[in-house]
This record gives sequence, C-alpha cells and structure tokens, in this order.
Amino acid sequence: MLTLGMGAAAQLAALNAYDANPDLNILIVTKALRGKGGCSRMVQGGFNVVLDQGDSHQKHFMDTLKGGQFINNQEMAKTLVEQATYTIKEMETIYGCFFDRKPDGTVHQKAFAGQSFDRTVHKGDLTGIEIISRTTEQIMKRGIRVLEEHRALDLLYDRERGQVTGALVMNIRTGELMVVEAAATLVATGGGPTCYRLCAPGPEKSLDGLAMLYRAGVEMMDMEMIQFHPTGLIVPGSVVAGALLEEGLRGAGAYLYNSEGERYMLRYDPEKKERATRDVVSRSSYLEIMAGRGYPGGGVMIDAAHLGKDFVEKNFPGMTERTRLFGYDLARKPVEVSPTAHFLMGGAVVNKDTETAIPRLFVAGEDAGGVHGANRLGGNGIADSCVFGRQSGKAMARFLATDRDIPESDPEMVQGLADHYRAPLGRVSGPVPADLRDRLRELNWIKVGIVRQGEALAEAQEEVEELMAEAMQAKVPKETNYNMIWGEWLSLVNMLDFTRMSSKSASLREETRGAHARSDFPEQNDATGLYNIFLRRGEDGRPVTEKRPVDLKYASPPSIAAPKEA
Amino acid sequence: MAETKGGKKTFKVFRYDPAKGGEGHFDTFDLEIEDYYATTILDVLFRIQREHDQSLSFRYACRVAMCGSCGMVINGKEGLACKTVVADLKTPEITLRPLNHFPIVKDLTVDMEPFFKKYEEAMPYFDPAEEASEPAIVRPDTWERKAIDMATDCIACGCCVSSCTMAFWHKDYLGPAALNRSMTLLADSRDGLHDERLATAMESCYNCRLEFNCTEVCPKEISPTRAIKYIHRMAISQGPGLAQRLSPAPEPVALPAPEPLTPEMSRRRFLGRSAVSLGVVAGAALVGLVSVSALSAAFKKPECKWVSLGPLEKLTAAPGEVLTIYADYSLEDGFYKRQEHKPVLVEMDREKNKVTAFNSRCTHLGCTVHWDQQKKLFLCACHGGTFFPDGTVKSGPPPRPLDRYETKVSGGQLYVLEA
Repeated sequence: MLTLGMGAAAQLAALNAYDANPDLNILIVTKALRGKGGCSRMVQGGFNVVLDQGDSHQKHFMDTLKGGQFINNQEMAKTLVEQATYTIKEMETIYGCFFDRKPDGTVHQKAFAGQSFDRTVHKGDLTGIEIISRTTEQIMKRGIRVLEEHRALDLLYDRERGQVTGALVMNIRTGELMVVEAAATLVATGGGPTCYRLCAPGPEKSLDGLAMLYRAGVEMMDMEMIQFHPTGLIVPGSVVAGALLEEGLRGAGAYLYNSEGERYMLRYDPEKKERATRDVVSRSSYLEIMAGRGYPGGGVMIDAAHLGKDFVEKNFPGMTERTRLFGYDLARKPVEVSPTAHFLMGGAVVNKDTETAIPRLFVAGEDAGGVHGANRLGGNGIADSCVFGRQSGKAMARFLATDRDIPESDPEMVQGLADHYRAPLGRVSGPVPADLRDRLRELNWIKVGIVRQGEALAEAQEEVEELMAEAMQAKVPKETNYNMIWGEWLSLVNMLDFTRMSSKSASLREETRGAHARSDFPEQNDATGLYNIFLRRGEDGRPVTEKRPVDLKYASPPSIAAPKEA
Repeated sequence: MAETKGGKKTFKVFRYDPAKGGEGHFDTFDLEIEDYYATTILDVLFRIQREHDQSLSFRYACRVAMCGSCGMVINGKEGLACKTVVADLKTPEITLRPLNHFPIVKDLTVDMEPFFKKYEEAMPYFDPAEEASEPAIVRPDTWERKAIDMATDCIACGCCVSSCTMAFWHKDYLGPAALNRSMTLLADSRDGLHDERLATAMESCYNCRLEFNCTEVCPKEISPTRAIKYIHRMAISQGPGLAQRLSPAPEPVALPAPEPLTPEMSRRRFLGRSAVSLGVVAGAALVGLVSVSALSAAFKKPECKWVSLGPLEKLTAAPGEVLTIYADYSLEDGFYKRQEHKPVLVEMDREKNKVTAFNSRCTHLGCTVHWDQQKKLFLCACHGGTFFPDGTVKSGPPPRPLDRYETKVSGGQLYVLEA
C-alpha cells in the first residue's frame, strides 16, 4: 500500500489499514520531514463533530449543506458527519489526542461560523499540532515505513489494464528518481491554493496531488470552488503574508472594520454579522477594499481588544503570539487582515470509501471533492481529512485482502516522465521558475479571485497556457541534490495544471454560489437546477468538461422543494 | 513598532555540500531590508536564494512556527527561521548555521534521523490503559493536566537537542524533546505503558546537567528541563519498586555447556516481552488487536549485539574474585557510530560452573563501578554507591541492582549481549 502525503488523511489511512491488517506492507511518501508537511498540522480552530445530546447528525449535515449551498455530494457529507463522531473518539482513546475540556472534564466544543450548534472540538488555537503529533507517534509505534523528503511527481499506469501501479518519486536530497509500485495507491498530499498572491497554506504546498490526478486522467469536480478565508495576516513582502488568524476569533465576537471605522458586516449580513460563513465575509471585505475603504496594507482591521486582553491571550495564545512577532498586538489593538486563498472544495471524484473510478487508486482529504460543495465550514476541513483518511484505510485494507497483485508500470511512460521532469536541469537561458510563479499568483488573484467575471476568466485560460509554454522553457541549476529551484519548477507546473482546471470551471459556472462569485452573474440560480461541474484532462492538456445535476438524495434547499426523505 | 524600520544587514550563511566534501565555509550576503519587523530569517533566505545564490539550500514548510522544519542556529542560538524577525537580532552581521550535532544534508539542511531515533526510543506514543469508547473525563484543573499543560505542543524542531551539551555526547541520553514527551505521557492517567516508559526515562533522565539550554531556546516556550525534573521526582517516588517489578536479575549461565546456551532474559528484553504480554492480556479483555500488534512492532527497535570477551580458557580467577575485562566494539546511537572500550565485570564460579557478567555502569548516574577485592564489593566512586557480589545494592543512592548481561559461550569464547 502506497500513501502519498503525510497529513491527517494519509496518516489515518495508514493507521487504519495497519490496524485492519498488520501484515500489510505500507509505505508513506512525504516531501517534507515526517509529520511536518501539509495543512493538517496548521489547523488552528478545530474539528466539527456531534458529541452533545443537544446536537444531532441531522443538524451537522444540514449546516454542511447550507454552507456548501447544496451542491455537496450528499452521501459524502452524510458520511462526514456520522463518521466524525467515531473518528474523534478514536483519536482520543486510541491515538492519545487530548482536546480541551470543560470544567467538568468532558470535551469542550466551541462556536464556529455557520453552525447551528457549538460543535468544534479543539486544543487551544493550535489543534493541528495535537492531531498530527499524536498520529505521527502512532505511525512510529506501528513501525510503518516513511520515506521523508521524497516527492511524488506523477502516478504510474499499467497501460493495458488501465490500472494505477504506483508513482514516480523523487528523492529531494539527491534528486534521484525512483519507481514505487503498489497494489493500492492513496493520493492524500493535500490541496492548498498557493497559486494566489495571498494564501493561507504553507509555501511548500503546491497542489501536487490535484495536478497528478488531473494528469492521470482522473475525473475532477467543482474546481472553481476556492475558499478565501476572511482573516489572513498582512505582512508586506514576507512569506508569512496570508497566514491565518483563526475563525474562532470571529466566533468569539471579534469585529471587522474598514478604514472609515465602519463595522461593515452589519451592512452585508445584519443577522450573522462577523459570524457569517467564510465566503460571505471574504466577499464583503474584498468589496470594501476594492471600494477604496481598505487600509494602506491592502486590508481591513480585525479587532478583538473589546473581548478583553486576558480572554484573548488565554483563548488564542497562538494567534496572539503570531501577531506580536510582527509588532502587532491582537489582545490590545486591531490587526490588519485580508481575505486569503485557503482551501479547495473541489477535487477528485470519489465515493464515500475514497475509491476513484480507476482501479487501485484512492483519494482522501483536500485532494478529493464533493464533501463541502460550494463552501466549507470552518472545522469541517480537518474533520474531512480524518474521517475520509479513516474510510480510506479501512477500504484499502478490504481491497488488499482480496487483491495484492502489483501490476507492472509502463516502462515507456516512466522513461518519458523522467525525461520530462529532468528537462529544465542545466538549461542556461529561459525564465526563472519563481518569476513565472509570481506572475501566476497575480493572474489568479486578479482574474480567478474572490470576485470573477467572464472576460477575465477567458483571458486567464489563455494566459495560463502561455505561462505553461514559458514554464517548459524555464531554466534550473543542474545540481540535483536539494535543488530548491527544481522543486519550485515542479510546483509551478502543478499550480499551472491546477489553474487550467479552476479557470475553466469558473468560466462555466454562470452564477454566484458560495465561494464562487461572478460580478456578471451576481445571483444564485437554484431555480434552473443545481449542478456540479466535472472535468478531466483532454488531449491538448486543457480540461474537457461536463455539467451534471446534483443528486439531492437526502435534502433539498428550501428554495426548491421539500426534502425527498428525512 | 520602533523608530528604525530597516536598513542594510550582512548575513553570513554556512555552506556545505557533502557531495563536494571539505569542511564547509561561510558566504556573506548584503541585503537592504525595508522593515526589520516584517522580515523573518526565512524571508531573508528566500531573498538570498532569489537575488544572490540559487544553490542555497534550506528547509521550510508551514512558515508560521507550527511544523518545526526551519530550525537553525541564528547568531549562535537555536531558533526557527520563520519565527525570528531581523529586528530581534541587534548585530550588524547575522550568522546562520545548521543545527549542531546533526549530519548536514546541504548548507542549512540537516538530517533529523538521530533526533527521531532518540525520540522513538522514549516510546513517545500513547497506549491506552484500558479500552474506552468515550473520551476520558479529565478535569482541566487536575494536577496531571497542569503538569502536562502546553508541553504537548512540541513540534519536534530539534532546537533543544542542538543546544543540549549532553544529548550528543552521551549515548544513553534520550535528550530534552524525547524526555519532555515522556513526561507528558507519564503524567497522563489514560496511558497504559507507565512502568515501561518510566524505566526508559529513568535510565536517561539523570544525564541532564540542568543547564536549561533547551528551555532557553525552545521556540514553543516549552521547558524540557521542567519535564526532566518531573521525571526525577517520579523516579524517587516510584523508582525502587519499579525496578523490582520490571527487572528480576537473570540467573548465571552454566559454564562450558552445549552451545549456544539458552539466552537469559536481559532487562531490556524483559521490558519488551512484558509489554507484549501486557498487550495480549489486554487483548483478551477486548482492547482489540491494535495494541498487541502495534506494540510487538515497536519493541523490535532496540538493537542488541553479542560482544566477545575473549577465549573462556584465558579467563582465570580465584574463587570469589571478579575479573574486569574490557570489551571493544562499535555501536551506533542516535548521532554516531563509535568505538566502545568498556569494562565488563565477570564473576566466575568454577565450582558451580557458572558465569555472571555485570554491566559496570552504576545504576545511579552511569559512572563506572569497579570491583574491590579487599572489601568484596562493587564500588562507585562518584556518589559512593556500593553493591554486593551478587549485584544487589548494599548502600548509597543506586535505585536498583547492577544490570546483568545476557551471556553465551560459543566457539570457546564468552559473549555478552550489549544492548
């Protein structure tokens, strides 16, 4: 069993597969050091889960659909909310996570935006560290093998049988390429829209999994759905720019102000105000900034000082520290923030057992689509990774119980890919990868950003092809050991393949829904039918698309009809 | 924000490429920095790489002090590049080096394998004391939770190990990060590996010389020193009983006998076995397969090695005399492969045809114990610990008898199992 990635989805998959059958030969491949890569570790707020008597799976399910504007895959959303309860309990009782408690000793759950019940389990405001540290230790305990600083470049195929055989992997420390073959492969490298001017994920994230899946011909869905988190820190010129101040701040009652001192959320959403969902708040802030009511750094201000210095320091120690490093003081003064590219709701089409349509290929976590529809609720992200990582480990163990055949990779494919990826090494003239990446970030920010428009999206689709052509001419130093520029180039190519999908898909959704806002189509069109946009890679590298109606299996939005069944 | 926003700074960056060999050197780069407060060392490295030298290698991931990938030595002190802003560093010239002790992969990038090896030896993983389907009820104001507090926020960046003067030099010392994690589990009432974990931590915790370097440098403001003191206290209250529970001394083995002799159980082996059987018993009580299989995999870890003490016929001793024989062998610990030259105390009982080999390491703080032929006692010069000829404690601070080696005779040579 080959697991690409080492965030929560990948680790839970490996642990669950091992516990189902300790004889499985499991290998985790991560481009970072063990347990250090990915976004799961960076989770601040927490994990949405139904634990309280007063809460119910039905409520969590409906919150998830409302947040996702009803284009979620309902089977996936149902699995998420139901299995989250078991998953979080196993994380406490088997893996040893210890989440914050109420004074009576039971698990504390806090308020998050878009939820009808306070159901977010957390550890302070740095929940991801607890989850990933504890699960990484469990990987050690089971002796599951980890190849660290190895980067997967592409999935490999058995051409005759149309099965995935494993992956072409690069050893970052030496630059050597190797073929890793397995009877079953999981892609769980995580998304992370780092192809934007401001982004929340760490800069090592580069959409590797999504790009690999696209190139492997896997069907993808809703790639236009890119969530912008409303409160990314502004530190001009620093790589830290875009890093988050967590959602719980707004949950706890922090205010947002424009440069005229107006608490503008009262105007955009008088009812929920700052506690509206991320798409609404991000769009409101963006409109304020674009209308010239932003601060000099290009953002708005979040103010938590009225909650009390002690309250902020006690409940948000990580955020307080993060702001102080850059000379701000969250506990006492407003901090300048901007919407920041944060999460991809779209991804590979999978079923609730994380299976794709291609034999032996599984996808979990942010690389998979469908769960969150048009907008993800804060706290549903780490829940998604953990729940579907767990689903995937169990499903892969079941699959491997009956079939441990390892098909043979197509040797021509391997050679072709190796030549392709080595091509820029030692080239003496051509563009520098980082320059192209910066151009792509600006392109996405302006033309495939928070508010989109038809013509700009059409231009973006052409410009990304031009950038791709330039990227194929880029120059990279020839030494292969720990060659970070080569890594930047590989990331750039993946970001470009991703933008091919997102820009095309965004041009086809002629409405405003959730995270996808169109200035030329400002209305949400429930009446004309709810649909998902599916795509796969065409011969020329550009996506071939198809719209299909959403299966409203368990619930429909109030604007359409009564639910078919409870 | 302060008055001076920015200006020119010089950065001296360590460069080393193992492929090219040599000793490594520093390259100097001048940068004009607009705002010292808004520029992290990680930003500086990206700029040097982009504007001056593409071949520079460093490591990063999250850039917000949550992953622990960018630990390095900044102006002589360990820290995270992403969490150190230029304004924190008052010198006109700023020096950047890789973490101490670790093998260098390239430039500022080190191989963290020795760190993880020591960390894993501390058994850093939770093992449920009993099967539970619901999270335990633990009030946040209980002593255990206060003791654990934020110490579980460790991000394994390696800064503490780099700053420690003992972790690198002492092969048995697990180091601050590993012991800090050990403490958080020892204090956790939900954990089921308490005794085994404490035994491992106790072997190690007295090697800390309380210099507080780790506490000083920890980017997450954790104090491993506090954790180690906590283990000291636990060792005093639970240590002696623990040794008896976990370590029945192996019987001496018969002298020239059919070979190989049935290996006796060494202390470390016993730990492994007891923990596995613990899993099996628990398994019967419906803990499920998880803990059993997981533990058996984990306890394969410690590497043992048979070391020859030379031909048996040459080991002659008067009745009641203990021989001191130097064992020479190489061993690999977290950081190094090194040559050992270590006295082994061998007691021959020709009448009963038995040989017993004691580890000369004092069970108190690891000094070397010697045999006093007049007094017929083992003595430790450091803190006055004394042991009877059978290895049990006569007086002084040692918490348990001298450790005994597992022995065998093969090809006329006497071997001890060095673990």
